[in-house]
Amino acid sequence: MKIPFSWLKEHCPIEKTPQEVADDLVRLGHEVEGIETPRAGVKGVRVGHIVEMKPHPDADKLKLLKIDLGDVEHLSIVCGASNMKAGDKVPVATVGTSLPNGLKIKKGKIRGEVSFGMCCSEAELGLAEDADGLLILPKDAPVGEEVGEYLELEEAVLDLDITPNRGDCMSLRGIARDLAADYALPLIEPGDEVVATDDSVAAPTVAIAASEDCPLYTACKIEGVKVSASPEWLQARLIAAGLRPINGVVDVINYTMLDLGQPMHAFDADTLDGNITVRTAKAGETFTSLEGKNVSLHDEDLVIADDKHVIALAGIMGSEPTGVTDKTSNIILESAAFRPARISITRRTCGLVSDSSMRFERGVDPAMIAVAMDQVAQMIVSLFGGQVSAITVVGDTDSLIKDTQIQVNMQRIESRLGIEVPKTADAVLERMGFGIEHDGDTLNFSVPSHRPDVRLAEDISEEYARVIGFDNIPAMMPTLTTIQPSKVDTGITDAVRLGFVQVINYAFISKAEQRLFVAEDDKDLVLPNPISEAMSVMRRSMFPSLLNTAKYNMNRQQTGVALVEQGRIYTGPLDEHTETNMLAWLITGDVQPDTWYAKSRKADFFDLKGAIESWLQGRGLTARFMADDGVLGLQAGQTAKIFIGKSVAGYIGKVDGDLADGFDLSDDVFVASINLDVLHTGKKAKFQPIPEFPSIERDLVFLFDKGVTSDAILQTVRKACGQQFVDASIFDLYDGQGVPEGKVSLGIRFVLQDAKRTLTQEDSDKVMQAVIDAVATKFKAELRG
Amino acid sequence: MSEIDSLKAQLQDLQDKALALFADAADLKALQALRVAYLGKKGELTSVLKGVGKLPPQDRPVIGQFVNATKSVLAEALDKAESLLASKEKEARIDAERIDVTLSGRTSETGALHPVQQGLHEMTAIFAQMGFAMAEGPEIEDEFHNFDALNIPAEHPARANHDTFFFDIEGTADTKLLRTHTSPVQIRAMQACVDAGGEPPLAVVAAGRVYRCDYDVTHSPMFHQVEVFKVDKDVSLAHLKGVLQHFLSAYFEKDVPIRLRPHYFPFTEPSAEVDIGCVFCNHKGCRICKGSGWIEVLGSGMIHPNVLKAVGIDSSIYSGFAFGLGVERLVMLKHGIPDLRLFFENDVRFLRRMGA
Ligand SMILES: [Zn+2]
Repeated sequence: MKIPFSWLKEHCPIEKTPQEVADDLVRLGHEVEGIETPRAGVKGVRVGHIVEMKPHPDADKLKLLKIDLGDVEHLSIVCGASNMKAGDKVPVATVGTSLPNGLKIKKGKIRGEVSFGMCCSEAELGLAEDADGLLILPKDAPVGEEVGEYLELEEAVLDLDITPNRGDCMSLRGIARDLAADYALPLIEPGDEVVATDDSVAAPTVAIAASEDCPLYTACKIEGVKVSASPEWLQARLIAAGLRPINGVVDVINYTMLDLGQPMHAFDADTLDGNITVRTAKAGETFTSLEGKNVSLHDEDLVIADDKHVIALAGIMGSEPTGVTDKTSNIILESAAFRPARISITRRTCGLVSDSSMRFERGVDPAMIAVAMDQVAQMIVSLFGGQVSAITVVGDTDSLIKDTQIQVNMQRIESRLGIEVPKTADAVLERMGFGIEHDGDTLNFSVPSHRPDVRLAEDISEEYARVIGFDNIPAMMPTLTTIQPSKVDTGITDAVRLGFVQVINYAFISKAEQRLFVAEDDKDLVLPNPISEAMSVMRRSMFPSLLNTAKYNMNRQQTGVALVEQGRIYTGPLDEHTETNMLAWLITGDVQPDTWYAKSRKADFFDLKGAIESWLQGRGLTARFMADDGVLGLQAGQTAKIFIGKSVAGYIGKVDGDLADGFDLSDDVFVASINLDVLHTGKKAKFQPIPEFPSIERDLVFLFDKGVTSDAILQTVRKACGQQFVDASIFDLYDGQGVPEGKVSLGIRFVLQDAKRTLTQEDSDKVMQAVIDAVATKFKAELRG
Repeated sequence: MSEIDSLKAQLQDLQDKALALFADAADLKALQALRVAYLGKKGELTSVLKGVGKLPPQDRPVIGQFVNATKSVLAEALDKAESLLASKEKEARIDAERIDVTLSGRTSETGALHPVQQGLHEMTAIFAQMGFAMAEGPEIEDEFHNFDALNIPAEHPARANHDTFFFDIEGTADTKLLRTHTSPVQIRAMQACVDAGGEPPLAVVAAGRVYRCDYDVTHSPMFHQVEVFKVDKDVSLAHLKGVLQHFLSAYFEKDVPIRLRPHYFPFTEPSAEVDIGCVFCNHKGCRICKGSGWIEVLGSGMIHPNVLKAVGIDSSIYSGFAFGLGVERLVMLKHGIPDLRLFFENDVRFLRRMGA
């Protein structure tokens, strides 16, 4: 909502500067987006009187003008326009002036005739996008005055963002009311003159068939109007307020809407067929909007109709064929009340917004229906002529504009605000239109018709907070009941400590990417109106976004990346969907750069597996990895299911080579995902004494058949070791020269210990023999060398 | 020459030779061999001592003394030579072990926490310390929790500002959508409390991803919010102000001035937008704060009675405050990050620089 400052002053005699008023508006709850002076910069353009006009001797289309600027001598100006005549007043840019379009005025010679300035059009003054000919100023424009001052072009315009609850402030009058109350200044009431009606003009016949949605509809007819452009001052105000002038009648209606807050509408009476009915739309009805858009209507849409057609979407806009044009001579004016929720629904289903619907949705003061009707009718008659019919009123005005009564307990208000309400607050609220009666601790509030947003005691508390000022409310710490403070989850922090960079990706991916890792689409959750196809389905795998992030970075001078993301995956069906918390990992390219102490190395499966094992260890968990050749998108033979106890906690594997190529990733890519929701936190660490007796280390090297898993071997040897087992690990793996084809040499290091005594050589020999026997039985593996 | 003189001369000669040899010894090993050769059981001195037996008894003590003196001279000289050599050898070893201490250390690649995650951790930690309990809720929500229960009925103009991603035709309470704010967690937490037969006090902080169908330089279709609320008897706007002041100063690690501006949110009454003194110009006015000295950081207010009613909490007994803040926005302000899009491009150079 744009508020031209001079217009505001017509509603309230404000003496503060625009900046001061802006600060006060902010305090009162109106967000000020900015203070504009849209057409500052026409200094040096003055009102000139054309005292003489002659044709240019050498050019048909040019005229020689003598202009009186109130100075001693008249100026000679060569002008190419054709819409002026001697005696007109026009804006004249004098030598040295810079116009808003950047043109600098210099003394010049045009076809041999000297010119000392330029007569300007609206476009040249920055008043309009384009213009035919000069801007002809009103006859009474004072000669020599700066046009900027005369047209109030340099005034400040406050740009306000009105909150949806304050429909009353979508007008100059509404904003002025809040300010007048705050400043203890009078709010200047609109004139109470009633338009003169003429009984020879038949008043329109109106029927309301939807009285709940349209409690009041008033209309009148004006015959014999000569529609032309509205006067400059009116156009200038509309432009300053951000509206485009259209034609005289529409401009007057828009002006009044901005002025008083009541949106009205004018129909070309000669285009209507029969009487006016307010009703809901019928199946199959259509409506042609002002922009020429064809809309099919729904049965919940509220419309204004004549006997044959829908002529307006109530409170939103009129139809294109029934609109007022320059050729219109008989008009029907509408000023009505519509239920906000109904307008909101129709606006949404039809996808049409207007300045009118914005106001009706937020609540329009019904007290202005008659006032605005009078103002518009009077302005039209005085500007464009015509005779006005009696005003048809359908509905009950009095019950609409009745105050609403609310009872409030003052203690409750003070306890809600945390401050004692000062006595002075009541006077401000009364100036805003509220009636207040104190009855002990009880307050009886009358809420005026322009504040439909105030209905509850809590709403009253806000009004008090506003007039007291939020700055005056103290800051106090509440007593916070001691609740067990929650631990911040460290899962992602632990992953980052392992060298991974955390990324955060959108939760929606493309359908094609979804299919890379999830075969069936029956559980996809698809967004019907996505930002783009690339963000059209809720991800069921974390991998596509990670691959995209890897691609993004590998294209930007990285030789390797290790990424981790914590986020959710989403599985349908919609009515019983699940969201699963995941931790997903990706590693590709160099895990180690070339350094003085080591050569660079590419990531492999075990880099990622090691990270995951360390991460799990940090949560007190150990996992088993079981080879799995059937995971979509991951390469057989380098993929495993991750088990924690008996539940599948995730997957780890090498991304299929062709798939990785699709993301421009040329190095091997390894990914893993862990379902955080199945991880119960590991057991709390329990104290165990440090062993008293020393441990013994023994090594054995065996030749195994290839394909035997280390997991199986270690389980077997662990069982064979019995009570004295502490640890067994693979310390050497070799299948080069000297190892027969199909075999692999594995070195296993054992740590043995006894809780009650120091182990002897004989003790450990016995255990090693048990291991050798077990391995021989189970795997037919022989001890090597 | 008497027997004794010749022995003396022999000893002197032995001593001179030995001392010369000691001085020339190349290393500790050679010195050890010399010690054995001279002072050992079968060493030179011992063999000289054997000759003492041939002397007349009255001469024996004299020469004995002489031998002992020689012995201690040699032992002393050996010790000296030994320590000299030891320190020389240590010096040589130190020289040999000299390294370039300016070479880079053996490091492993460090990771980085995403700046949004850091912000989330910092913020939730402040509230957790203040006694707020953590809660979470689904990202795919229904209209009831995201709108209706928050006093935003279908025809409410505020809905239009939410740019909602709907999965279904809008308009029924169980229509599914991507939550547009973390406020539905407020509803769920209060419902859970009431359903379990409990009653306030409730003090909850909830954080997570939220979604708006809006994508340009200053809007991301997905971002993060933190929602904080407290419901109890006699909770006031002054308490809200106190908690906001504490939180914002703790998060920005300095005493930031705050300003509450009356505003409108359907789910709070009164409602306030909260500004902090501009962190770029210290509240003086600059380009970023458009000269005002204030920067808007979050929306807040006293929970609307209709919201409490929707979850079955009696608003004549209980009141509450609530606020929701955009995590990305606060992180951008704290670290001077100029562009929202940086967060979701995930360029590891940016993430490593910002990452802790
Ligand atoms: Zn600033």
